[in-house]
Amino acid sequence: MYDLPVQNLIDEFGRLPGVGPKSAQRIAFYLLKLPEAESLRLAKAIIEAKERVGFCEQCWNISEEQICRLCSDIHRDNDSLCVVEEPRDVVALEKAGYRGRYHVLQGALNPMEGIGPEQLRIKELIVRLSNEEIQELIVCTNPNIEGEATAMYLARQLKPLGIKVTRIASGLPVGGDLEYADELTLERALEGRRELNA
Amino acid sequence: MIVTQLWLIDFRNHTSTELQLDSGVTLITGQNGHGKTNLLEGLSLLNGHKSFRGATSESLVRSGCEFAVIRAQVIRHRREHLIEMKIVASGRSRVQLNRQIVKRFKDLSDTVSIVVFSPDDLELIKGSPGIRRNFIDEVLLSCDKKFRLVKANFDRVIKQRNNLLKQCRGRLSKELEESLSIWNSQFIELSEVIGSNRIQLVRDIEPLVNTFYSQVAGKEEQVNFRYETTWMDKGLDQALHEIQHEEVRRGTTLVGPHRDDVIIDLNNLVSRTHSSQGEQRSLALALRLSEHAYMAQKIDDSPLILLDDVFSELDEGRSKRLVECLPSAQIVLTSATGTIPVGIHPGKKLKVLNGHISLGENE
Ligand SMILES: [Zn+2]
Repeated sequence: MYDLPVQNLIDEFGRLPGVGPKSAQRIAFYLLKLPEAESLRLAKAIIEAKERVGFCEQCWNISEEQICRLCSDIHRDNDSLCVVEEPRDVVALEKAGYRGRYHVLQGALNPMEGIGPEQLRIKELIVRLSNEEIQELIVCTNPNIEGEATAMYLARQLKPLGIKVTRIASGLPVGGDLEYADELTLERALEGRRELNA
Repeated sequence: MIVTQLWLIDFRNHTSTELQLDSGVTLITGQNGHGKTNLLEGLSLLNGHKSFRGATSESLVRSGCEFAVIRAQVIRHRREHLIEMKIVASGRSRVQLNRQIVKRFKDLSDTVSIVVFSPDDLELIKGSPGIRRNFIDEVLLSCDKKFRLVKANFDRVIKQRNNLLKQCRGRLSKELEESLSIWNSQFIELSEVIGSNRIQLVRDIEPLVNTFYSQVAGKEEQVNFRYETTWMDKGLDQALHEIQHEEVRRGTTLVGPHRDDVIIDLNNLVSRTHSSQGEQRSLALALRLSEHAYMAQKIDDSPLILLDDVFSELDEGRSKRLVECLPSAQIVLTSATGTIPVGIHPGKKLKVLNGHISLGENE
């Protein structure tokens, strides 16, 4: 339909999360109209982020270093570890005042999107738990059905390790994302956490 | 609850329609194909449910347009509300209530309650189990916020579960079995809530249907409801276990509330197969009237009633008795011929011609 470079651009945008074919076209045409300097700035930002930012080898949060700022901070509490779905959830928990360790699964169980346990950082979590001295694992996956399924899966997998596994209280709006919970709700949800039975 | 004003823009064959509704009865006349039912459909969408004609967003938008707009002014419990709906032909539709975005369309049910009587209602009795399940669920979704959440989660869990079963390709590996048992526990929990809610609703409306049936049919007869399920007695856990092999083979969920039926017996005979067309019609009307009565009691307000060309299908006796049963509510009705039974007194008459509205003569 369009010249190949234009079609390529549209296709690339169309693959981004939450971008439909129509929006992909709109963004592509917007970029084509931009002054060259501005579009180069965007291209550079993408390349730079990809080059400099990767994932922390310990907690799988985004990080510029091999081991992220939070993992290398010796003042943080080593007793508890919060398991979350995405890096943005770490930000939400930091705001709510949590000061322990994190582990970012990089998603939740979601058969519709082809995400099974192997696609998540669960193996890495299990290795961590046998190396680090963690007393309590707090499962902070989202309070929706995928997050609940993930929590249940973790509880079953971790049972043999004998670590206390808790789940944040469902004071959060059910069906919602942690990201959208306000700090106070999240703080209460953390305080009201309960032990998860596999 | 009443709808005072309605605007339709590029909705079906209505390019730009604005009309005011009577707080009592509004009669809409016009020949078939000119847009009477489209207008009722526009009104019916205000509770955020799907079209009673089963239409897709694409078919709701006037051909050649990207989106349709429905706006309405609603008064409920003496407070005014503005509903603005943008129906996008291909893409995400949006809705605002008093200029605030509403995340789930069905949450509009907290503001707008509607009962639609349509000639297709005969299918409630004659049709497949899915139509009756849908009827029950729609009533619950209209007046129970919690059920709305449970149903949304259930629909999602079953999709995830079906996907997982498809991934098996006929063979259940150890990993997939582990995953399946995780999804099963949520599936079971939600199914039980849905099942018990449906059974409670069926119990609640049974006496109402009995009363309305005798009134509409003009004779005393017994209506019984039976919630038919293959899993409740033995428990869904056990039922899933028994059918697992077959589910893996066919790659889909074979047992649960999405397979249940509500059997309606008339004088101890299954109405779907054993009642006459006339009895089935009376039953369908009794169901709609009961829906209204049930909702009115639950929400402490009288839902808007939409009657889509209902009287043309009824004989004189049934028409007359239906009119006697109609509760006090705002009513909008369509008629091709313009003849309506005695006992209905439209405060306003509108004519539809080629998607345009004009004021008919008032009584
Ligand atoms: Zn880290």
